[in-house]
This record gives sequence, C-alpha cells and structure tokens, in this order.
Amino acid sequence: MEMGRLLSKLTEKHVLLFTTSFLIRLVLVAYGDYQDRNMVVKFTDIDYHVFTDAARFITQGESPYNRSTYRYTPLLAWLLTSNIYLTLVFGKMLFILCDALSGVLIYKILCMQGLDCKSASKISSLWLLNPLPMGVSSRGNAESILSALVLGTLLCMEAKHLACAAVLYGLSVHMKIYPVTYALPIALALRAPEGRREEGRQKQTWKKWVTFIGSFLNYELILFVSVAGAVFFTLKGLFYYMYGWQFLHETYFYHLTRRDIRHNFSPYFYMLYLTADSRGSQWLGLAAFLPQLILLLVASWAFHRHLAFACFLNTAIFVSFNKVCTSQYFLWYLCLLPLVIPHLSLSGKRGSGLLLLWFAGQGIWLAPAYFLEFEDYNTFFLIWMAGLLFLVINCFILVQIISHYRHTPPAQRLKTE
Amino acid sequence: SSKSPLEQLLSSLHDDQDHCDLFRQWLESSTVSTELGKRGFHRELTTTVELRPNVLHDISVLLLYRWPNGVYVDPYQLASLSAHNDWQILLDSSIDLEVPAHKTLGFLSYVYLSNAGSTSSLLKATIPVHGRYHEPSLAGETFTTVHIKPPDMLLRTGKCLDRLESYAVVDAPCTVSNSSMCPWVKINRQQEEGIIIFQVPVGDGSVVMPVCVGTLLVTIVCCVALSKYMLKYQII
Repeated sequence: MEMGRLLSKLTEKHVLLFTTSFLIRLVLVAYGDYQDRNMVVKFTDIDYHVFTDAARFITQGESPYNRSTYRYTPLLAWLLTSNIYLTLVFGKMLFILCDALSGVLIYKILCMQGLDCKSASKISSLWLLNPLPMGVSSRGNAESILSALVLGTLLCMEAKHLACAAVLYGLSVHMKIYPVTYALPIALALRAPEGRREEGRQKQTWKKWVTFIGSFLNYELILFVSVAGAVFFTLKGLFYYMYGWQFLHETYFYHLTRRDIRHNFSPYFYMLYLTADSRGSQWLGLAAFLPQLILLLVASWAFHRHLAFACFLNTAIFVSFNKVCTSQYFLWYLCLLPLVIPHLSLSGKRGSGLLLLWFAGQGIWLAPAYFLEFEDYNTFFLIWMAGLLFLVINCFILVQIISHYRHTPPAQRLKTE
Repeated sequence: SSKSPLEQLLSSLHDDQDHCDLFRQWLESSTVSTELGKRGFHRELTTTVELRPNVLHDISVLLLYRWPNGVYVDPYQLASLSAHNDWQILLDSSIDLEVPAHKTLGFLSYVYLSNAGSTSSLLKATIPVHGRYHEPSLAGETFTTVHIKPPDMLLRTGKCLDRLESYAVVDAPCTVSNSSMCPWVKINRQQEEGIIIFQVPVGDGSVVMPVCVGTLLVTIVCCVALSKYMLKYQII
C-alpha cells in the first residue's frame, strides 16, 4: 500500500518525476562505471567503445571509419570527442540526458493534445521509469538521441512550428534511416485541407487525381521539405567532403544492402541465410521488401490525420517486417507508444496481456538462440519458427491497438467515460 | 679475482657454449599442447608450453598460429584482455568480424609468451576464438567441422644459430610491436598430431524450399491481415 501510494505520488507530479528519473539514470551510469572496473562481465555496451574509438580517431585528425564496425554518422563521433578531451562518461551523460528529455517531450505532447497534467505525467512515467530505456542509454547506446529528435519533431508539428520540426526531422533522418518512413504521413498531414466535397456530383477520376496531387503543392509542405532537405543535404555534403565515399557507404548503403546472415529476430533470417549465395537471392530480397513497403503506404494513408499514431505504426511495421531486427530497434517504436496509449480503449488487463505476449514472443526466440550460440545445439529450425511466431504476435498486437484506437481527443473521451 | 682479457674471452665462449647446449636441449625436449574449451560458437583455445629442462634463462618463446577461415578472433576483445594476460598477440591482417567462412581466408597470429614472472616450467595462453557462420549444408548435416592446427613453437635466444641443421629457421617479428624481423628456430613436431576439432552448427540447405515458401506465406498473410484492419479502421 505504501509503495503504491508513493509510486502514484511520484508519477503524478511531473517535476518530481523528471528529476527522479534523471537521478536514477545517473546512479546507473555510476554503477556501470564500478562494474566495468571490478567485474569480468562489463556493464558498458560494446557500441560505446566503438563510438569512443571513432571519436579518438577524430581527435587524431583521422576518419572515424578507421574504427571497424563504426556505421553511424560522423556527427555522433564528433559529439563524443569530449569523451577523449573531458571524461569517458561524457557520452553516457549525453545519452541519459536525451533519454530523460524524451520523457519530458512525451509529457509536453500529451499536454498539447489536451490530456490533463496528472494523466500526462503518469503516462510519461511509462518511459521515464521504464528499465529498458534506462538500461539501454546508461550502457552507452545512442538510441535516445534519435528518440529525442523524433519526439521533438512531433512536438513541433503539434505546435505548428514547421521550420523547427523540419530541422529536427532532417537531423533525425541524417542520423538513422528509419525516420524516412515518416515522410509520407507528414506530407499527407501538411497537405492543403480538402475543399468541401461536392455532394451528389461524381467528379471525374483524372480531376480527382489532379486535385490530389495539387494538394501537395502548398506553402507548408514546401517549407517543410525545403528546410528538412537543406539540413539533410548540407550535413551529407559536409561529411562527404570530409570523409569521402566511406562515409556514404558505412552510414547508408551498408544498412540498405545489409546481408548479415547471423541469427536475429527477423522472420526472414533463415530464408536469407540459406539463400545467401544462390542466384534468386536478389528476387527474394525484393519479395521480402514488398510487404514492408505496402504496409508502410497503407499505414501512412490510413492514419495520417493522427501523426503520432501513424509514426508509431510505421516504425512498428518497419521493424517487424525488416530483414534484420535486433532488440535495439524496439526502442524506436516504444518511445512513441506512450503517445498512443491515451487513445486506446483497451482495459488494463488486456493491455498487460498483450505486453506479456510480446515478451513471451521474445523469450521463445531467445531460448533456442542461446542454445545455438553458447551450447553447441543446432537450433536453426526452431529459431526460424520462433521468428515467424514473433511476427505473428507483433501483428496481432498491432491489430489490437488499431482496432481499439479511438480518435476522439483524450480529454473529451475522459469526460464522456 | 681479476681475469686477463684472454681468460675472460675463453670463459665467455664457454658460457656461450653452455647456453647453446641448453638451447639445443630446449629445442629437442620442449612440448606444446592445445585444448579447446567452452561450447557453442564462442570457445577458448588454451595452449600449454613446457620448456625442458626447466632452467630460467634468456629465451623468447613465440607461438605461430595458422587459423583456418572458419574461425576468427576479436581484436578488440583481445585488446581488452591484454591487461590481464602475460602474453601478447599480433595479427597479420585486419579481421572482418561478420563475414561468413567461405567468403574469407585464414590468417596468422603471433603470440609472444613471457616467462619473466612465472616460476613454473609451464607457460599458458588462452585465446578466445569464435566460429564463423558457414555455408548451409546441402546434404542436411547439422554440423560442419573446422580443423585448427596446433601452433608452431618458435624459440629465439641471443646467439646460437650454428649446428642447428635439423631445425627450420623462420623469419618472424622480433616482438609484438612488429618493428623488425628476426630469425626464429622452429621446434620439430609431427604434422598430424594434436589437430583440434571445432564443430560449428550449420544451416540445413536441403529445406531451403519449405523455408522460403513458409516464410513468404506467413509474411504475406500477416501483411494482408494488417492492411485489412488498417483500411477498416482508417481515420479520414
């Protein structure tokens, strides 16, 4: 009882919540430092060492891509040069700051959508007090920078600050490829609003198409595209000038043509492993890309009026149907889930049931994967089946979310319930 | 008592001869044995060197590993381990950590053992080794075998390169910093003895058709179902 009351007090007062969540992350970073120094199993993720090594190359005047497996934008290595000049934990501090900032942005977006402060605070605690993003950013993964940028874009879109949104969006696409899937919902949302429908008269199809395409040519959309495009291409040009072809390859082309056949959550993993050297593998790659593309188009069209929901669906679809899927990718859509939750008419029991199902799907995959990697068993077939099962579970959960999404504003809905 | 220059020369020559006799004894009687530990894709290769006779003297020991393409070592893991080890490793080429076995070649590694701190005659080096993904087996076999040859043991000491006709002399880096090459003497060993067998799980190429069909079926059904629901509940 005491714990319950303490917890609810914490999650309702947003300033207290923000401070506490940042402090917890700080403690985790300090603990990680201790564990790294004193135990064999390291707390810090290998990615953090990759970032630091790349930053060290920059301080020596060389290309960060001299560090093998560094496949990110040079911007990240430049940001982390303070790891070398100031302190090794600078990067981690930056990541936990962005992580806590993501929680604050979630709170602000919910408030702007009309939710009352208490509920907004409670929902943003789903991110701020969640051990998963806490663990990921304190271990030194850079995902929180992306989630802060994406949430910042959505906040600016909500507040109608288009130039701001465009800058943040261009930056996020520069850092990772997946936000490019938000381009279509954003474009559809920024179109000129539809004129009154002409009742009764059947408009000619080509006229409909002309109006449709014409609606894309309005001031707001053009502004957004120009600013985002300018940011993206300026950064790309700058880094291409500094680091040449290797920058383009490692940051973009590697991810697009990635043929890492080692086991991962993707349903396509085994198929791609078995056909890696056969002649038809290009066609199979295309066949694997089509469901992803079709679903992205349908999701963007069906939900562009609710931008946060469209972005959430796009990311969840992108990750679930991708040819490579690791647990890091889940954070990409989990940071948008709190924005969707106030609109869901799912009962608490059902919601926790779906969450448990999601974890069970991962557990069913992780068991044979562990036996394959660490215990000398050939469990490839089981891993394949578990990957397909995980896809089915993800789709089931998405269907539940879609069919229980209420598009009345949450404030109004709370009054009527 | 002070010796005349001639006496000093004669006594140092005598020391050299003792030293070279010792060196020849080491070449004849020292042994190296290897063992593979742990399970799965991530293993440890432990090499134990016994110098006989057990007399501490000025000698350098180098283990030359010829690794097959089916395994790799992680240079960054090795760098982080080097703080706790009394051996150091030098690789002859950069290692791609992700490429499958049939798309890459084997590599060499030089492991410099130090006998400075140890009092026993046994020198040990434990190297973490990882299996690469291999081509799927068309015959439906579940494991493929990677053969790891035991390392060549090379010895070097200050002088003593004469009267060693029955031993091969190999050029290798003098120290791990790879700044110069030196002649090393290789210990004779039977070619086939001590080969390590490393079994790596491999995909089943004979089920490629059902896997492709099954995967595409499930993904297409999920795609259709999800699209149907999205269009049904779309917000216009």
